[in-house]
Amino acid sequence: MGEGLRGSIETTGLTMIYRSGKVEVPAIREINLTVGPGEFVAIMGPSGCGKSTLLHLLGGLVRPTRGQVLIDGIDIAKLSDAERTAVRREKVGYIFQRFNLLPNISARANIELAKRIHGNGHANLYKDDHILALLGIKEKIGFRPTELSGGEQQRVAIARAVINQPSILLADEPTGNLDSHNSRLVLTLLQDLNQRLGQTIVMITHDSEAASMANHVIEMRDGRILARTHHFVYEPEFEGLF
Amino acid sequence: MTHSLVAANILSRPTRTLISILAVGTGVILMLIIGGITTGTLNDYLNRTMSVGADFILQPSGSTVFYAFSSAALPIKLADKLRETPGVGAVAPVLAKFSSADFGLVFGIDLATYDQFPGRLEILEGRNSLQGNEVIVDDLYAMSHKVSPGMTVEILGRKFTISAICRRGSVVRVFVPLPTLQQMNGTEDKVTIMFIKAAPGADVESVFRELHRAYPGLALVRTTDPSVLLADTRMPGLKEFRLTVVTVSMLISFMVILLAMYTTIFERTREIGILKSMGASKAFIVGLILRESVIISLLGIAFGVGASLIIRKLITTAFPTLQVDMTFVEVLRGSLLGLLGGTLGALYPAYKAARMDPVQALSYE
Repeated sequence: MGEGLRGSIETTGLTMIYRSGKVEVPAIREINLTVGPGEFVAIMGPSGCGKSTLLHLLGGLVRPTRGQVLIDGIDIAKLSDAERTAVRREKVGYIFQRFNLLPNISARANIELAKRIHGNGHANLYKDDHILALLGIKEKIGFRPTELSGGEQQRVAIARAVINQPSILLADEPTGNLDSHNSRLVLTLLQDLNQRLGQTIVMITHDSEAASMANHVIEMRDGRILARTHHFVYEPEFEGLF
Repeated sequence: MTHSLVAANILSRPTRTLISILAVGTGVILMLIIGGITTGTLNDYLNRTMSVGADFILQPSGSTVFYAFSSAALPIKLADKLRETPGVGAVAPVLAKFSSADFGLVFGIDLATYDQFPGRLEILEGRNSLQGNEVIVDDLYAMSHKVSPGMTVEILGRKFTISAICRRGSVVRVFVPLPTLQQMNGTEDKVTIMFIKAAPGADVESVFRELHRAYPGLALVRTTDPSVLLADTRMPGLKEFRLTVVTVSMLISFMVILLAMYTTIFERTREIGILKSMGASKAFIVGLILRESVIISLLGIAFGVGASLIIRKLITTAFPTLQVDMTFVEVLRGSLLGLLGGTLGALYPAYKAARMDPVQALSYE
């Protein structure tokens, strides 16, 4: 895999069918998608259209029923559980709507845990400080998640996701639990990280303003991609459309 | 960071952690105290038997070192024949009887023949006499029963008058006249064992061979070798008893840790999902669960060992005649078995956690 492929995502005929007994429920249907390195892509669509499943497939959390998922040229659909875990560890950072910080340990321990899992436990502290300063949480990392506001928790979660400098950031409604002020803050940070660190970002959102931050917006319906829009322009009157 | 996660998980459920620690500790206590009483009682027997200073014990074939449980099967006239054997210096016929009231042995002896042995009774108080209804007890017995010479005590359901107090360390704590015990036992001309001492200057090995040749149907045991006295063939059921205690103790640790960690992984399903989304390998998750169980087990072991030492002190204070042996090796073995039980108990929950579907785990409420 060449350096130029860092952070590239490509799916071909990607299909995911959940089975419950004899009943088959297609969640993703024949999706062909290409996201170039350093792109910031937003995925929009109604609940149940397959956005989260698509994100799980891109992160290798589940294996597709059919099709390819190429991450930096590696088809992770063909990899074993352990190999997909290794790809995720090396190349992917996750940001969740509910932050998903471990509640019993401090923000610092949450971030350091990510480094330990990555095998990067003794990395240069300067880099960490830089990221923490960028996210504005340097003073807060001694606190436990329950002692932080929603916006602070999400910034810690972002720090945890980017601390190992993965080439791809997958964000599942990162502003879904935040007020408008914190939402804007988090989106600005994501955009900033995308521009400064060059990470590819795929973000699920229901929020048109959030989608307007992305380079491209993908609209999904019933497990399929309906449209791909370049430079989505946020118009407040469109709010609630998706 | 992983240390802080393990520590935080342990501290986040203090009641569960405490119960697990207590359970692992209970297993260790069982191993150390029951094992200690077994070993202590056995060692006590051996030391006392060796303290007589005999070279051999002659017993009916197939008897155990717990001669109290052997029948009185040796004819007392055999003592005279043994004395005629070349190289034999002294023979002391003994009838042993177990007193359940005192949880100890009572020896029926002939004081004159018994005093020919190096381990003869060392009288501290009273008269060196053992006739009729007289009894000699050691100082520990006298202390624990608060008795002194001239007082009456009930031994095996019969009243005896204490003629003397001897120094502790003798083969048993209570000595009565041989004819009296034989009459009480209904075996007037029979004894349980014979202590034999080689004559001064005689070659002990030659005497052993001669006795062995002369009495092939009887068991002749060298009392100078504790390992021979302890041979498994002479201790039926001891190995099985110890194995049962160890197995039950390990099962307690195993099952409690299994239950605790099994509950834990369900409580932490979402946490496991988060770790998996971060790229944590199965080995990493197994390691987390195992580390937690090892720490709980170690705390349980520390509690168990500490409590065992206190319990041993309480037992030996309340029952001075009872010996509870707790050597470093036994403590180490008990600790390792407790750790093994706890670790094995965490293996299945750890395996289950490692195999969790990350997407389902992440959506777990």
